[in-house]
Amino acid sequence: MKKLLLLLTVLFVSSFFAFAQGETEAEDFPTKPIQVICPWSAGGGTDRTARFVADELSKILGQPVNVVNKTGGNGSVGHQAGADAKPDGYTITNVTFDICALKHLGYSDLTPAEYIPLLQFNEDAASVTVSADSKYNTLSELFDDIKSKPASSFTFSGSAIGSAWDLSRLALFDAAGVDPAKVLYVPSKGAAPAITELLGDHVDVITCSYPEVAPQVEGGSLKTLAVLSDERNPQFDNIPTAKESGIDCSYGTWRGFAVPLETPDYVVEILTDALEQVINSQTFIDFMNANGFGIKIRVGQEYGDFMISQYEGLGPMIEKAGYNN
Amino acid sequence: MIEALVSIFQIDVLIPWILAMVLGIFVGGVPGLTATMAVALIVPLTYHMQPIAGLAMIIGVSFTSIFAGDIPATFLRVPGTPASGTAVLDGYILTHKGKGGLAIALDLFCSAIGGILGILILIFISPLLANFALKFTHYEYFWLGVLGLSMSTVISKGSNTKGFFSMGIGVLLSTVGIDLVTGYPRFTFHNSELMGGISFIPVMIGLFGISEVLNQIITTNNIDISLKNADISDKTKFSLREVFKEIKTHFLLIVKSSVIGNLIGALPGAGADVAAWVSYGAAKKTSKHPEEFGNGSIEGVVAPTSANNAAIGGSWIPALVFGIPGDTITSIVLGAMLMYGLKPGPLIFEQEMGLVNQIFAVGLVSQIFLIIIGFAGIKAYSYILKFEKNIINTSIIIFSIIGAFALRNNTFDIGIVIIFGLIGYFCEKGKIPLAPMILGLILGPMVEENLRIGLVKTEGAFLPFLSRPISLVLFLIIVLMFGLAPIKKLIKKMFTTNKEKK
Repeated sequence: MKKLLLLLTVLFVSSFFAFAQGETEAEDFPTKPIQVICPWSAGGGTDRTARFVADELSKILGQPVNVVNKTGGNGSVGHQAGADAKPDGYTITNVTFDICALKHLGYSDLTPAEYIPLLQFNEDAASVTVSADSKYNTLSELFDDIKSKPASSFTFSGSAIGSAWDLSRLALFDAAGVDPAKVLYVPSKGAAPAITELLGDHVDVITCSYPEVAPQVEGGSLKTLAVLSDERNPQFDNIPTAKESGIDCSYGTWRGFAVPLETPDYVVEILTDALEQVINSQTFIDFMNANGFGIKIRVGQEYGDFMISQYEGLGPMIEKAGYNN
Repeated sequence: MIEALVSIFQIDVLIPWILAMVLGIFVGGVPGLTATMAVALIVPLTYHMQPIAGLAMIIGVSFTSIFAGDIPATFLRVPGTPASGTAVLDGYILTHKGKGGLAIALDLFCSAIGGILGILILIFISPLLANFALKFTHYEYFWLGVLGLSMSTVISKGSNTKGFFSMGIGVLLSTVGIDLVTGYPRFTFHNSELMGGISFIPVMIGLFGISEVLNQIITTNNIDISLKNADISDKTKFSLREVFKEIKTHFLLIVKSSVIGNLIGALPGAGADVAAWVSYGAAKKTSKHPEEFGNGSIEGVVAPTSANNAAIGGSWIPALVFGIPGDTITSIVLGAMLMYGLKPGPLIFEQEMGLVNQIFAVGLVSQIFLIIIGFAGIKAYSYILKFEKNIINTSIIIFSIIGAFALRNNTFDIGIVIIFGLIGYFCEKGKIPLAPMILGLILGPMVEENLRIGLVKTEGAFLPFLSRPISLVLFLIIVLMFGLAPIKKLIKKMFTTNKEKK
């Protein structure tokens, strides 16, 4: 009996300690290094922003924040790893636009609903670019000819099938009321090879973000007709919007951060606060400007709703294009 | 130019530059760690430096890591970087013949010579080459890929059929993953790992490195150890006189390979790895002693190592002239330039000529540093080789696994290394050459994607693949390469039979 009593006391005391420990953990997050999963390869735009934010974040949280690149499958590998991570806040996913398309394209069962959104910090609108000696000077001129000329007279490029710039093209054609199958689409591994193709006159039109083509546009070899956003971008306000050409379309890619479902509320709060501090700082704004990345901030629920609405909008678009696998 | 040379010799440029070059030796020497990863990690550190210091680090690390990839390839048969896949073919055989030191010293000097030639081409004819590279589109890349694939029968020892079979496996493996042309996931079985495709670096590490370790473990039980500790250190020794003699004998080949390497590097759709394979094949095709290739040919060592370092200079050509990346490293460079407040692209020659000259100067001086730091790297590796064979083998396995994991932070790639280690072992038992499999895996997508995208552009017509000047030339090269020998034989035969009739 004495032994049993002793045992019970020990159990009680130890459970108290365990509980107390849990309590202290609850109060100070983070107590160990944090990992940011980047679904894209080292050196790319997403990786560069992730590394910058990670550095700033570690200054605020007082713990190392490491970027880990888990690439492959149009981003599905990294996004999946981020959603499957232990929901303790020590693994953050650098979510990108592609999360909204993965399920429709048949690459994964992932949807934006499988994360708790922290915040979005970037948005880059697509732009429509042609060769500098092209006869088209506005988007409406280009689309008038696409409509009147026979099918397959124009060749477009910009990204892989079902990736951001291809989907932007689909959105643009949708808004212009033209069947996207009326032009040929040359898939490419990204904007850079598409720009090369355009410079060599092997394609007619490309869609990608303006900063990606800015060096060539400013150097006089390419010409950007329009940017797919609601308003002109103050950083390059000489480029008109598609709306000004009578095609109401705004589309592009974005980047943000999210954590797995069931991450405790207080952790979500700490991370969101810290991230908000980062993205409101002048160093962050300077970094984004220097790289030509657009800043767009949506926090928490607002960001979550945005992702879901985009996810839902992509379904019919991808089906119409015949990309659903 | 003199001004540029002087300006790069200041402490806050030299120190990061040399440190980066030393890092390059490590990155290149560990299989799986690539120059691209090193550059991506270095760039954020350089934001607060002056632009040329950052660029010197990037240039330095690319040259040393591409060279250092040859060290484990030559000594241990584990290619350190994708561009060193060819170094296992003859370099490792030379190590077994006790001439590993000569092979690696030749690698070092030829890398530097290739590097210098590549930079000189960059300095003097980059606008010309860049415009030429722009003419390449899917039709031309398709033939270039076919030309490369056809090398598989050239490079493989022994049976052509087995070489072809091995290449076919490589090509098939390369189709796993999301298809670029339709976006359809092929052979992925709804597995998100397979969705990303089979990356060729872990395959290469497994096929060459792990299979050799297996081979040694299994054979050492029966036969006595050929590589005793005592003579390993001898095997890394060499005389400089011999090295210079070989360089003198093969100087034309070095120049030729460097030019090939530089041209391929300048194409945005092909890089140092393709350069190494093509120059190896070309060297064998034009050699007076093609039978030595694969059996420890000096030419087989010299050609690819000159080409892959010359390709680095090539990859800067489209980057500087047009602001479009020539490979993954220069694509990171273009991003870094924005951070330095520079505008890469066509205007850079007008607005930043001083910096462009500094880049050229750094490229040239890096070659001198490469020789010094490279020697230190070889020395360090020689110490490793003095360990017991079982310790070396264990560390090869450990480093191969770490390297494969580090590539994409994916445990799936560790599995790939092990599986392909086994496949490699059994293929060698069956006398199936491994190099064509790697070639198929690297070039399969180049051939397939360019053919199919080309056909999308032409709506199914094949004519542009033959009617465009460059594609026609490439096609004729392939025809001549394989048609010439049989035609010659035929003419000779007809000639001799006619004679006999008389």
